[in-house]
Amino acid sequence: MTPVLICCGAGGVGKTTSAAGLAIAQAQAGSRVVLLTIDPARRLADALGVRVGSEPCAVTLPAGLEAKGTLHALMLDPKETFDRVVGRWAPTPEARDRIYRNHVYQHVSANLAGAQEYMAMERLYELFRDGRWDCIVLDTPPTRHALDFLAAPDRMANLMDEGVMRWLVLPASRGGWRMIERGSEVLAGVLERMVGNSTIADIAEFFGAFQALWDGFRERSIEVSALLGAPSTRFYLVTTAAPAARAEARLFVEQLRSHQQPLAGFLVNRCLVPAGSPGAPEFAPRADLPEWDAAVGAVGQLYEQHLAKVALQEANIAELAAGTTAPVWRIPDLGEAVHDLDGITALSHYLRAAVA
Amino acid sequence: MPSPDRSIDRLLDRRIIVVTGKGGVGKTSVSLAIGALAASRGMNTLVCETNGADQICGSWGMHSGGYAITPLAPHLSTMSIRAETAIEEYLMRVLRFRKLYEMVFKNRVMGPFLDAVPGLHDLIQLGKVFDLERERSSVLSGRTRTWDLVVVDAPATGHGISMLTAPRGMMRLTRSGPFHDNARDVAGLIEDPARTAIVLVSLAEELPVFETVELYGRLGKFQEQVAAVVLNAVRTHGLPANYPDLRPELLARANPAGVEAIALADAALRRSAMQDRARQSLARLGAPVVDLPEIAGVELGPPAFDQLAAVLGQSP
Repeated sequence: MTPVLICCGAGGVGKTTSAAGLAIAQAQAGSRVVLLTIDPARRLADALGVRVGSEPCAVTLPAGLEAKGTLHALMLDPKETFDRVVGRWAPTPEARDRIYRNHVYQHVSANLAGAQEYMAMERLYELFRDGRWDCIVLDTPPTRHALDFLAAPDRMANLMDEGVMRWLVLPASRGGWRMIERGSEVLAGVLERMVGNSTIADIAEFFGAFQALWDGFRERSIEVSALLGAPSTRFYLVTTAAPAARAEARLFVEQLRSHQQPLAGFLVNRCLVPAGSPGAPEFAPRADLPEWDAAVGAVGQLYEQHLAKVALQEANIAELAAGTTAPVWRIPDLGEAVHDLDGITALSHYLRAAVA
Repeated sequence: MPSPDRSIDRLLDRRIIVVTGKGGVGKTSVSLAIGALAASRGMNTLVCETNGADQICGSWGMHSGGYAITPLAPHLSTMSIRAETAIEEYLMRVLRFRKLYEMVFKNRVMGPFLDAVPGLHDLIQLGKVFDLERERSSVLSGRTRTWDLVVVDAPATGHGISMLTAPRGMMRLTRSGPFHDNARDVAGLIEDPARTAIVLVSLAEELPVFETVELYGRLGKFQEQVAAVVLNAVRTHGLPANYPDLRPELLARANPAGVEAIALADAALRRSAMQDRARQSLARLGAPVVDLPEIAGVELGPPAFDQLAAVLGQSP
């Protein structure tokens, strides 16, 4: 099965950059790699040469890398993916257009919380079936809980549940929001009072129009679940050494465990490099120069602060990994340079061991 | 003493402050700093986390009360708003009977169905904020408002915007009915510049600044409600102005640790230049830019937030 490397993590930890670094490390080692990014910063998208809604496009890797494989990258467009999925699986052009025109569909496909997560799964499935790739690297949507997106196929499957569908769709196919059973009438009445008549009609039409697509959605969501659970799929937690990362890491490991997946490793971004020399900084005096002592004092203080930060970082990393056997890969803070292709390539050197 | 020409005082005049920004920039810390400042001025302040986020109590060294209001300090409380609980609370009020609620919304049909109603989760969380703003408690003399200020620690960037626009979205979707009317009321509060302010949080680094500028662009008509941009985790280096002149001499006279320390000092200067560029870029948005210092090498806790609040209170 095609290996899938999945980078999870909270927003702002450098997830897209790390995913790109992993992808370059894989390409360097000789794989034909495709990188699926979700909502990357525009600078980063420019660096990789991807545009919204694009098909995978080739990334020209720095010559010095002597990459034995190739890298393609693309950027998820949830709305476009949703439209394409509907276009591809709708039984007739009329059914397709009826969905495109539906009020609720337009909202759901563009705004629904979770649509992004779900469409990432649909796009992953398309890439998986494509057959052109030796390795798929997936950057996940920024969620509070790193693994929320894993539940997307299950949530969709729940929505597709036959009982739910029958309840919602049958009345619509009879031409109105009328319930078969008396209990349902009460429910429908309450609902109508809440959101108004026209919304109910829109929602019923949405579910009605989608009826022909349900089976496909359900089948794919089962296949994606299987793919996510395969031994060839590896989950990385991208994080920083900040104290807040500890609770998140614990939650992540628990969630992975409930999906019967081991953690492939922690990618700890923006690590400070410990000072390598023993003792405190010392400078032979030059008391005749103005501000000499002030400069020595300030430099010494910056050094002390650095030591304190490194100590806190190491304590946090130790706690992060406590209770797991997953390896920790430290990625040093490369500063601003990391937002162009050369910077990401530099970062990928630290990830070679992580993909080996 | 509060003065009307200081942006921080004008900010605290509002009833609601929505704090948003890119992920990882410290929205929660800034929300707490604003909350601690308001509380230090005797305002009864509630800091709300959203989307079920629940970090504040932990960073205060306390056990989380979740959706229940948890007092943190005099005049300062917190709660974690969860859409699911807020929906239940709302529907219980509308439907009145728990049995009816459970029959309608706890069954496996309605659960996924509610999830599919576009923008409902965002709207209902703002609806909770709306309720908190209106909450009155009868104290001796009569009915006084429970909260002088509600600080909303909103979701990051994209989700933050969809939360602000959720009431309008729901109004378009429903066109009539109680949901429509409630959404209209919530929109009336959230879109009122006199009562609701927006605070954007950014780090002083190139990419976060870039994204903050982008976020500002996407705020549309909410732009006029941006009352401050907080530049978070600003570092100071303490180096004298003539450090670049002294550097060659320092390097020549340094022991190995000294050489490393000079490299750190150089990095600190580069960082300082980057911070200046960040401040300039953000100032162009038109809202006042407020610096908050990095609290380095210590765990966040009440003393850290009090310190941040004090800095915030001194800002122009």
